[in-house]
Amino acid sequence: MSDDLRYVGKSYPVHDVAQKVTGELVYGSDLNFPGMLHAKLLLSPIAHGMVRRIDSSRAEALPGVIRVFSHLNSPADTYCRARIYPGQECAIDETLFSEHVRFVGDRVAAVVATSQAIAEAAVALIDVDYEELPALLTTEQALECSDVRIHPDGNLLYEHHIESGARVDSAGAVFVSSTTDTPRVHHAALEPHMCVAQGHSTGGLTVWTTSQGAFGVRTVIAELLGLEYHRVRVIKAPMGGSFGGKTEFILEPVTAFLAHATRRTVKLLFDREECIRATMVRPATETTIRTACAADGRLLDFEAATTLDSGGYAASTPDYADHMCKKVTKLYRLPHYDHRCQVVYTNTPVAGAARGWGAPEMIAAVEIHLDKVAKRLRVDPVDLRLKNLVQPFDIDPVTDMSLGDARVAECLERGAAAFDWTARRARATGKGRYRRGVGVACGAHKNGMFGHFPEASNMSLKMNEDGTFELSASLHEVGCGIVTTMKIIVAEVLGVHPDLIAAGEADTSTTPFDYGTFGSRVTYVVGACAQVTATKLKSAILTAAADILQAPVDDLVAREGVVYAAGDETRSLAFRDIARFSDMKHLPSIQASVTYYATSNPGSYSVQFAEVEVDCATGLTAVTDFLAVGDVGRAINRGMVKGQFQGAVQMGIGYALYEHVDVDEAGRSGVDGFKNYHIVNAPDMPDIDVLLVEHEGDDGPFGAKSVGEIAMVPTAAAVVNAVNNALGTELSNLPLTPDRIIAALAADEDGEA
Amino acid sequence: MSTTDVVVPATTDELVAALSLATPGTRLLAGGTDLVNDIRRPGRQPDRLIDLSHVVGLSYVRLDGDTLRVGATTTFTELQRDPLVHEHAFCLERASSQVGSAQIRNVATIGGNIANASPCADGATALVALSADVTTLDGSGRRATRPLRDILLGSGRTALAHDEAIIEFSFAALGDEHRSAFAKIGWRTAVSVARLSMALVVRFDPVAEALSEVRIGLGAVGETAFRDATLEGLLEGRAADEESARVLAEGCADAVRRSIPGRYSLPYKERAAVGLAYDAWNALRICPPCEPAWG
Amino acid sequence: MELVLKVNGTVWEISARPTARLIDVLRDQMGLTGTKEGCGEGECGACTVIVDGKAVNSCVMLAVQALGKEVLTVEGLDASGELDTLQQKFVEHGAVQCGFCTPGMLMSAKALLMANPLPSDQDIRTALAGNLCRCTGYKNIVAAVRAASGQETAAMEVPAEKEELLADLSVPGLAAPPPDLDAGAGPVPRPVPGPAPLPPSHEGGE
Repeated sequence: MSDDLRYVGKSYPVHDVAQKVTGELVYGSDLNFPGMLHAKLLLSPIAHGMVRRIDSSRAEALPGVIRVFSHLNSPADTYCRARIYPGQECAIDETLFSEHVRFVGDRVAAVVATSQAIAEAAVALIDVDYEELPALLTTEQALECSDVRIHPDGNLLYEHHIESGARVDSAGAVFVSSTTDTPRVHHAALEPHMCVAQGHSTGGLTVWTTSQGAFGVRTVIAELLGLEYHRVRVIKAPMGGSFGGKTEFILEPVTAFLAHATRRTVKLLFDREECIRATMVRPATETTIRTACAADGRLLDFEAATTLDSGGYAASTPDYADHMCKKVTKLYRLPHYDHRCQVVYTNTPVAGAARGWGAPEMIAAVEIHLDKVAKRLRVDPVDLRLKNLVQPFDIDPVTDMSLGDARVAECLERGAAAFDWTARRARATGKGRYRRGVGVACGAHKNGMFGHFPEASNMSLKMNEDGTFELSASLHEVGCGIVTTMKIIVAEVLGVHPDLIAAGEADTSTTPFDYGTFGSRVTYVVGACAQVTATKLKSAILTAAADILQAPVDDLVAREGVVYAAGDETRSLAFRDIARFSDMKHLPSIQASVTYYATSNPGSYSVQFAEVEVDCATGLTAVTDFLAVGDVGRAINRGMVKGQFQGAVQMGIGYALYEHVDVDEAGRSGVDGFKNYHIVNAPDMPDIDVLLVEHEGDDGPFGAKSVGEIAMVPTAAAVVNAVNNALGTELSNLPLTPDRIIAALAADEDGEA
Repeated sequence: MSTTDVVVPATTDELVAALSLATPGTRLLAGGTDLVNDIRRPGRQPDRLIDLSHVVGLSYVRLDGDTLRVGATTTFTELQRDPLVHEHAFCLERASSQVGSAQIRNVATIGGNIANASPCADGATALVALSADVTTLDGSGRRATRPLRDILLGSGRTALAHDEAIIEFSFAALGDEHRSAFAKIGWRTAVSVARLSMALVVRFDPVAEALSEVRIGLGAVGETAFRDATLEGLLEGRAADEESARVLAEGCADAVRRSIPGRYSLPYKERAAVGLAYDAWNALRICPPCEPAWG
Repeated sequence: MELVLKVNGTVWEISARPTARLIDVLRDQMGLTGTKEGCGEGECGACTVIVDGKAVNSCVMLAVQALGKEVLTVEGLDASGELDTLQQKFVEHGAVQCGFCTPGMLMSAKALLMANPLPSDQDIRTALAGNLCRCTGYKNIVAAVRAASGQETAAMEVPAEKEELLADLSVPGLAAPPPDLDAGAGPVPRPVPGPAPLPPSHEGGE
């Protein structure tokens, strides 16, 4: 690994840390404008039905109420909240306000008023009569009751089948079957969802949003309201976390409509309960896996069937399900792989984008299954995986693309050694009240969308007259430090400190097109674009310097912000002076614009080890030790890469043990806030270790691969496997709440009695 | 839009004056950690709030002869740190330390905890085991003292009149001859509502090594916290040994079964009750730590 | 209702609804938007401020409860213009990612260190138990608080000082070093938050 990098690989705080620790940073939810109005939504209290009557007269009579909107006075056009470019194939099934309400939390009406308090009071004054329809609350119910149509084309939204390889002779093989259920999860970003839209008197719009893709917001809004794109300006506001929950366009279309209709500035800010009920959840899934495994541990046949609960609307779930079918062959060499998935509408909260995009769901099923196989074969779980993991530069038979420098096996070996796996696994779990166990899980994900989606980024970089730099790029900072990452990359290429580079966030009117922060594309694709852009700018600097110094450009080198004539260090020019002289001599301004096309999509990998202690009286599980190993190619911002793993493990432990958004028989979730939706807090968070494996083998900037999603992919599986090791169980119904653990222990004990 | 008005008495006399004007639409604000959020819900806005937090002389812990007196607006942080509570009401110290987070404990009061009457209130479990009395003050200036069990009627329901404020809790101070403990099972180790709670108060004779005057409060398994006489009877007179821990645990599971028959959470709670009992027993520190045994 | 509140050492006279929460008054009337609302029910701790030396959730406290008390918000930490030690350690230890929980974390930590200058890791985790973070996994936050108490742990590896490098940029004799630059928000103009206008008088009076 190259050691001659000055900035890449060191640790930096996030670029706006000073503003964050002083409380100065204005987040989207802090935005406040003169004359701004406040919106509050009326959300459906029933899971399925038709709005037969809306009487908003009492609400409209309340002083301070500007207008009340519903399906009666808004566009009836359908749109898709996940569409990011025009012409993209999407399930278009959502309207601004629903006449046919499809889940508890569906949008029925909106009040626009002069204050939040008035808007809230007015919502309570809107009278709605619903005709209730039978609510289909599980995928089984929805598929069975085909005469109750949640959407016109039926309740089966999407089906997909992937097969690679061919069946092989499995004589003498061991057959194992397992079913894993993963729950609906609330992303729980600390900042609630928001949008502010300013409706100009001329009919245009400016929208401030905490979105992961401003151009997609523009696309959906412009198409829905019939506006030309250049009259809709979307600005990415600083955001307090997202984890996928703000990838899709939930508040923006309705807020834009309200602003457009009133020609005013309107703010829609959700509270925590609305965020849980009425934004997005991670989809609930059920996956059944059946494998044939040779006696020597090689997997021969891998068959899977996945059902994904889309909730009341499609959002991105068809794409999500597709991706669930693309995880296993990134991780294991499988002679035959057959995966069917189906996506089903139900009358429950809308499911869609979540960190890992189907990988945590699928990998949970795979890794829990493999532990079952290991148990049947009486082999160590690490050894079983080593026999089957992909190797560097394997071709993924499903995508027909190279997995790149896939170092997952190395992660597993080095991790097992660092975690002292063999010794810990050999220790007795105990039969008393407190039982300990260890578990391992491997995970795979991708780096961007190349191979199934046009994947490119655009940037401009220019040098200011004083030798500082402006990076113009549609960056979408979600809190994981991507602005800092771009500055570090540019800094390394140019040879100047990252603090001399300004980089802002997306503004559809002023920054060049980029899809946004999702799909694990930012470090790998957007970062590579930054590297290429900076390289092109450096070349322009040298060209200008050559002209000023009257020296051949090939004789020049740039170091720490100064250009030297090689061999004659007395002839030099600081960057600042190049800028000034260029202006004086009417040379072209020193800037570079690049469109970078991705040409690869390697796998990203993480292997994680968990040690747990289960209290068999109360069912409470403590994670007592944890190691995350990441095949990251190269850490651009080392501290942040480790920080991403630390945060991802918090999320994964929650996924394994605590978090689920349930619904009762009326389709209403019992979860409405952090009092009853438990995310891991500081006392329960183990001190985790992070080990980075860096081989720089792919096309990312300085060999870097994306980190934010893969970091969470195997976490829950590692914890579940550890619990099953501790208890001798085969639990696969996430989350392993205290009640489920006690029920399993009681059943086991009854069975033994 | 109607608004709530807020009255801020500074003395008990001003409090009485404010209470004398109270109507059924009046609510009393102590710490506010339950109330402030509740009044924002539709239909939950009171006509008037009386803010007790500025009334001088309602926040104290005093030893008055053999009686420990705790002012109603004493916060859980104050209870957790008070040397008199530590010495004479240890189960109350432990309960106080496990209410919510530090931010909640700094503001939430023992009086508010009782008046809110959540079935899961940790303070109630401890006070019930301490056989606490409650002194109230009403709008006519009258003070009345009643047992806590007569105040707590059910989930969210108390016997308090709308013009009646809790001003003090009192109970016989525990001495050197007593031991007390509190245990709680939540959804996680910290910052969780109780799913089960137990406060144990015993008189422990180290020479005879026997337990007497056993008082056991159970919380989160009934409409209110309560003392279970059957469970207390099981432990009365027993030695401080592993067998007693087992008896307590089985008895606790049985008490839970009697208390919430048919409840969805019963299979969980009857088992977790065993863990609860052992946690409370071990916290008494009258014998080496014990563990339940399973096959 | 007329209220006189002392916040960050400044006395404010404000007019608010009687049931206005402390967080509402801080954010909407005083423009102190550093205090954040993450849940509105006293569970996430993003709204934590210090009242008379104690950490409290300002979203479940009425403004009237703060009468006669001293309120300290995150904006009050760096009174002298320099970052408070805690803030500095949060910066150095990578304890900030999205930053939304950060003000609340700082205030809980500040209250802890005011009462307990040498906390154990257990003390720190207990003090922060009511502050939820979804980004960092708490490890760096705990390390930062420990470091702020003087019980030092290794900070992140920080590259060479910017001043040193700025000096490198200038060739002697040609020009003065460039001005100290804010490496922050970039070229997009951002609206400056100000106190929101008071609700119109028909909204409900005293």
